[in-house]
Amino acid sequence: MTAVRFKSPRTAANRGERAAEQPEGREGTPVAAGEPVVSVRELRKTYAGGVEALKGISFDVHEGELFGLLGPNGAGKSTTIGILTTTVRPSGGEACLGGEDVRANSLRARRRMGVVYQESVLDNEFSGRANLRLHARLWGMTRAEGERRIAEVADAIGLEGILDRGVRTYSGGQRRRLEIARALLSEPDVLFLDEPTVGLDPASRHGLWDLIQETRRRYAVSIVLTTHYLDEAERLCDRVAIVHEGRIVALDAPERLIASLGEEVLELRVRADAEEAVGAVAALPLAVGEPFVIGNTVTVPLKRGGGNGAQVMEAVRDAGIAVEGISVRRTTLDDVFLRVTGRRIENGKAA
Amino acid sequence: MIQATTMGMSTLYQRRLALAFKTRRGVIVPLTAPLIFALVVAPALAEALGGFSPDIDYMTYVAVAAAVLLVPLTSMFNGLSVITDAKFGITKELLAAPIPRTTIPLANALSILTLALLQAAVLFLAAAARGAEFDTSGTGVLWLLGGVALLSLVTYGLAEMLALAIGKADEYIAMIPAVAIVPWFFAGSLFSIEVLPAPLQQVAMVLPWTHALAVIRYGLVEGSDAGLADIWGLDSEPLMAGLSLLVLAVFAVVTLTGAVKVFGRKSLS
Repeated sequence: MTAVRFKSPRTAANRGERAAEQPEGREGTPVAAGEPVVSVRELRKTYAGGVEALKGISFDVHEGELFGLLGPNGAGKSTTIGILTTTVRPSGGEACLGGEDVRANSLRARRRMGVVYQESVLDNEFSGRANLRLHARLWGMTRAEGERRIAEVADAIGLEGILDRGVRTYSGGQRRRLEIARALLSEPDVLFLDEPTVGLDPASRHGLWDLIQETRRRYAVSIVLTTHYLDEAERLCDRVAIVHEGRIVALDAPERLIASLGEEVLELRVRADAEEAVGAVAALPLAVGEPFVIGNTVTVPLKRGGGNGAQVMEAVRDAGIAVEGISVRRTTLDDVFLRVTGRRIENGKAA
Repeated sequence: MIQATTMGMSTLYQRRLALAFKTRRGVIVPLTAPLIFALVVAPALAEALGGFSPDIDYMTYVAVAAAVLLVPLTSMFNGLSVITDAKFGITKELLAAPIPRTTIPLANALSILTLALLQAAVLFLAAAARGAEFDTSGTGVLWLLGGVALLSLVTYGLAEMLALAIGKADEYIAMIPAVAIVPWFFAGSLFSIEVLPAPLQQVAMVLPWTHALAVIRYGLVEGSDAGLADIWGLDSEPLMAGLSLLVLAVFAVVTLTGAVKVFGRKSLS
């Protein structure tokens, strides 16, 4: 591969360490030292017709960080990306890219970013190379500089063999790769990926995950990724903000969000009133957090090595509650999402 | 800012021109009907009807009018790309680019103007080869270029506004005959506007099509000022041609400003 720019190579292996190093800021928001690449404060957006998409969200993204906005469709993730990429006008609050206010200095802010939209945004009548050339020129590169960057990025992203084909002939995964290559051409400080794997088959999806990790490692670019896939957020992101109905309801490293619920959870499906079961299991010594109820399921965060299902069953039975099923499993972001929003994400929608 | 504007305009101008030639619908389709008018209908009408003006033979009269059919058709067909770019193409990428957003519709308009001038040249050359009698000079060519260019800007501004406002290709296509063809019949294309009923004469006199056609005829066929006189009734031919270009320029400013405003409103939420 052609040599490419390295700022500060990092690997997925040290993600947990870095997250743990970040000191706690206000209201539990971790704030790292140094200027954030993306800074969002009390951002609000009310669309015509009164739909309140954002109700005052705040977060920072630091240099080289892969930051996730996780939530179902309609949570406000794409609106946030839209404001940061200057295609949506905020109703209030502040948003800065590399210190440039996206409203007051939108041209300078746009120069510092690359974006891959949820839907494919390509010039379909032209080749992949023509799409990259257009981007290079719009971002102010000279012809020679543009050609050099196209060669570098195409090599790094694995597009060399297809670059001169019309983009209409590209598969979904190839289109995504081309869009990521295009966004990286101008060496942005921050790369926005809006639901990058939606609509891709599982193989392409996993391939894209690898590409995102490799891109981040190779270019040390800050990445803001929106997703409604919990496994995607858990696998890729250094920190995740869970967005629910226009608000950030949790923000931390995935490992720490999960750890806040305990390493394992016990799920108890009851026939009768689940709230009664909560009272019974909350008193047990094996729980580390407060049990919570969704429908007729009680979820109990367990201590390390907990998972004493028989003990729970006994307690519930003593309370006279009929149990349909019981299971103990590793805690996931899904449980965290459930805990903080009271809902699950199913097919991108809150259920 | 100036560098970003220049870079944006030049890049988007080239991209849009390349797109027009690549898709061909914006080049070939609009040219077809005007060419048929200039090469087939005009000579046939001249033979069947004779003529009505001492300044210009009827075949040339209609062949010139074919250009005023061509330019709005080119604008309207190329306006379709605004919808496809927004729905399935590159508009969002352009909005994220570090260029002033007004350059997007304005670069579109300039590239379509270039296309219209090239198409008009093809049309006039073909008509001359078929027997149309053009009698022009350096100044006449300038009047001609001014008329074609300003009509192109007027109609492309209108096309972009409509495309952005309608947003659906099928509905937009349905609008093309009404916008690009119907006004042409009232603009002095096949007959003088003098023979129209009085209310329609008033309508014709404010149509940009009428002013463009009168200026283009005046530029291409020396001494042919009947169209301008029908509108202005003045003695000075250059003054009348200048006034008609001014009217076209005002229309161009209005429609292009409208296109920029609608683009800003529709592309940002």
